[in-house]
Amino acid sequence: MGSAIKLDVRGLPPPEPFVNIMQVLQTLPAGTALQVQIQREPYPLYDALRESGYTWQTSALADGDFLIEIVHAS
Amino acid sequence: MRMTSLSTDQSPPIFIPLSFFAVAPLFLVLAAVMLALAGSNPFTDAHDPALRAAAHCITLGFMASVMFGATQQILPVLVGSKMPASRLVAISSLLLLLIGTLSLCAGFILGKPALLNLAWPLLGSTFLIFIGASLISLVRATARNDTRTAIFLSIISLAVAATLGVLLARGYATGASLPYVEMISAHIKLSLGGWVMLLTIGVSYQVVPMFQLTPSYPKWLTTVLAPAIFIALLSSAALLWIEPYPYWIAVMTEWLFWLLAIGFAAVTLRLQQQRRRRVADTTLSFFRLGMISLVLAALFSLAAILYPAAGTYLRTLSVLVFLMGLAMSVINGMLYKIIPFLVWFHLFRGGMKSGVPNMKQIIPETWMWWHYRLHLCTLLAVIGAPFWIMAAWAVMLGLLLQGILLGTAVFTAISVYRKNVRLINLVKT
Repeated sequence: MGSAIKLDVRGLPPPEPFVNIMQVLQTLPAGTALQVQIQREPYPLYDALRESGYTWQTSALADGDFLIEIVHAS
Repeated sequence: MRMTSLSTDQSPPIFIPLSFFAVAPLFLVLAAVMLALAGSNPFTDAHDPALRAAAHCITLGFMASVMFGATQQILPVLVGSKMPASRLVAISSLLLLLIGTLSLCAGFILGKPALLNLAWPLLGSTFLIFIGASLISLVRATARNDTRTAIFLSIISLAVAATLGVLLARGYATGASLPYVEMISAHIKLSLGGWVMLLTIGVSYQVVPMFQLTPSYPKWLTTVLAPAIFIALLSSAALLWIEPYPYWIAVMTEWLFWLLAIGFAAVTLRLQQQRRRRVADTTLSFFRLGMISLVLAALFSLAAILYPAAGTYLRTLSVLVFLMGLAMSVINGMLYKIIPFLVWFHLFRGGMKSGVPNMKQIIPETWMWWHYRLHLCTLLAVIGAPFWIMAAWAVMLGLLLQGILLGTAVFTAISVYRKNVRLINLVKT
């Protein structure tokens, strides 16, 4: 696994988490993962990731939040 | 109305929820007209045909329209599962609901059995379609959270409430001998206490922290609340058919239901006090009014148990405050977040990468605040309506103006969407 950029979108109202994640992904260097901490599973985001060619893995954290690791599929 | 739709995969096309939301305000206007057609003050008699017609304009025409549309939108967002055949389900359920509700309300106010006979198969079909599609979506959902459980129990309550409603409408039309008192009581308990209350709870678990920036609901509460309310309600409804009527057990189940409801309202109000951004927000104010109304409805019902002499008035007040205070407040508050979000989301995902209107610009905030004030005045008038004819007229005027204001807001959002879709299509060509 290469390097990772962390992004915390907890406590932001919709649509800010979605917008922030998509903005960071636009400038994400190749081979770098984006690790997002978020309060709930962002199902609509998954469609956007799939369409843009990203893969992701979601883990439920003990405190009820979620950690999503996003990488480019290629 | 024809709307060009932009593809956003898991989310249903925008025309689906917006069609339901566009139709709903018309029924507030119609409810006002139904009340105005009553010969005297319709709020003095819970069985007044005008009040019954107006109540169904609100519950079926307004609330069910919004909840049908919203459920199709929120299931993919909250539990990650789209409704099957979403276009077919949406179009058929909307049309059947629309014609069925109009027939039912006209049948009530005109006293025409033929209209009721037209209404019950149409309404039975729309609920069958919506409930079936919702259950398939919930079973398929990857999420196994407390929101899913609450929505599932809410849909089961709706299934029982709708079945009772269909049997009642058929009974009125044919003059069949039925235990009407018990059936009406169970129908109201399961439709308001079950469907509306449990859906409000399930959606609040996600929407209150998400949009109002509060801490999450405590896990102990989200795990037990919806199942406990469902069990209390089902027990309360089932006891109606036991001979002799077990009065004290029924009183205990009713107390349990209302104490759980007060607990939910109190926790929600406490979470709202702990919100991170302390800025004025109409959705927050509508929700807060909804929770205060829920406590008030509970107090009216509990007072009816303690003071049986005033029981009829107090129970009527409880139902009115629950319906217009809790249900309508929460629905209005949600609409003012969902509609701008949907327009923004579908434009952004539809290819508009820059110049997407800010969510706050889609429906003018001043309109939302005027609607909030108007709704508050209507609610205050409702409390006085069973006693004072002027208050009853104020309720009618309030419903009429709310319908016009909300309808204008929905169509404004639709026109913003259509204007921007045209811009996107111009850029693409």
